[in-house]
Amino acid sequence: MTRGSIPILRVGSNLIVSVQRDLHDAIAEAFQEDLLVTIEKDGATGLLIDISALDMVDSYVARVLADTGRMAKLMGTETVIVGMRPEVAATLVRMGYTMAGVRTALNVDEGLIVLARRGRK
Amino acid sequence: MPVVNFMTRLALDETEIASRRAFFEITAEDLARLEALRPLAEAHSVEVIDALYELFLGHPESRAFFPDATTVNRVKKLQRQYFLGLFSGVVDIRYVEDRLRVGAAHERIGLSPKWYIGAYSRYLRLLFDRIFTAVPTAEAQAAYRSAVKLVAFDMALAIDTYIAANIDTVARHQAAIRELSTPVIRVYHRVLLLPLIGTIDSQRAEQIMEMLLLRVSEEQARVVLVDIAGVAVVDTKVADHLLKTTEAVRLLGAETILTGISPQVARTIVQLGVDISAMHTRSRLADGIEFALGLVGRVIAEARTP
Repeated sequence: MTRGSIPILRVGSNLIVSVQRDLHDAIAEAFQEDLLVTIEKDGATGLLIDISALDMVDSYVARVLADTGRMAKLMGTETVIVGMRPEVAATLVRMGYTMAGVRTALNVDEGLIVLARRGRK
Repeated sequence: MPVVNFMTRLALDETEIASRRAFFEITAEDLARLEALRPLAEAHSVEVIDALYELFLGHPESRAFFPDATTVNRVKKLQRQYFLGLFSGVVDIRYVEDRLRVGAAHERIGLSPKWYIGAYSRYLRLLFDRIFTAVPTAEAQAAYRSAVKLVAFDMALAIDTYIAANIDTVARHQAAIRELSTPVIRVYHRVLLLPLIGTIDSQRAEQIMEMLLLRVSEEQARVVLVDIAGVAVVDTKVADHLLKTTEAVRLLGAETILTGISPQVARTIVQLGVDISAMHTRSRLADGIEFALGLVGRVIAEARTP
């Protein structure tokens, strides 16, 4: 899989990413790298990751998402993960993986509101 | 439920049918012997079935299944087909399907096995009374023995269908009870309430979580109130289930407020050393609702008196 396969959109001071396919090892790393480089280059106050298209999220992908959030945070960008499906949430919790510290929202609209509220503070 | 489903439910494929045939010791000679009597059986079928209906209509309970003459005539035709199946000379998938269809129909209208078995027994006696006078005794006896085997085979199928249908009914009821035990109520736009009552074991906790997550997603709820005032025992396990549910709800992007915490429950939770600081908690449901409304940007205000 080539890099840049997951488009990163910029809306105002936020970056928006919609994950449409399973994040396998190679893609996941490229995805993380792309995001962090974009943040470094252009700066962004918020990062919104929409995972509503994913009907399966294993512990590896969950960790990649949570780690990405933590890394972005270190670079001064707040992350919110939106649109997790009920069955995905149930599976993660059942596996004991809680994604502690990651902000979540129901959908893109809500996620942008969360980011805007953060930005003001 | 269609017959095919019962065929699958009872795993009635070629192998199973062959195995049943072997156990009931139904041989090709048995089937041939009965097939040879088919003309005789057909000739007597109408009068035998008429006599059978004296039995049905003579009992108040069984009479209830045949409310009018049209029903009686229709069912008589089906019954004739069913009984003549004994003399068809074959026991294959189609034969079994036919038997299951009748069993399923009886179960559906609530005609219990006793009526079916009693009727079958009378049919057999009435028919063989006539066969014994028509053919030599030895031949009739052999045919009777063959018929008994096939009748027992049929009854086993009918009863298996009854049992399978009953199990399905029970399963449906259990599903309904489970659903009733986790009523998720929409108390305000994007605010849900889940009042928990009774005991919470692991299985129920799973159901609660699944149901709640589904509703949060459907309603795009921002806040979920979980009221545990009616929960019998709140121990480490229950607290753990509640924490997991809260975390799963959070992953969707909604918040959970735990209400109905009595002084005793508060004491237990602290004494057990369970950390539930991840949840918003309130003692009274009313306070929880007020808090929830605050999270969706609404306030409860006193009405101005004019």
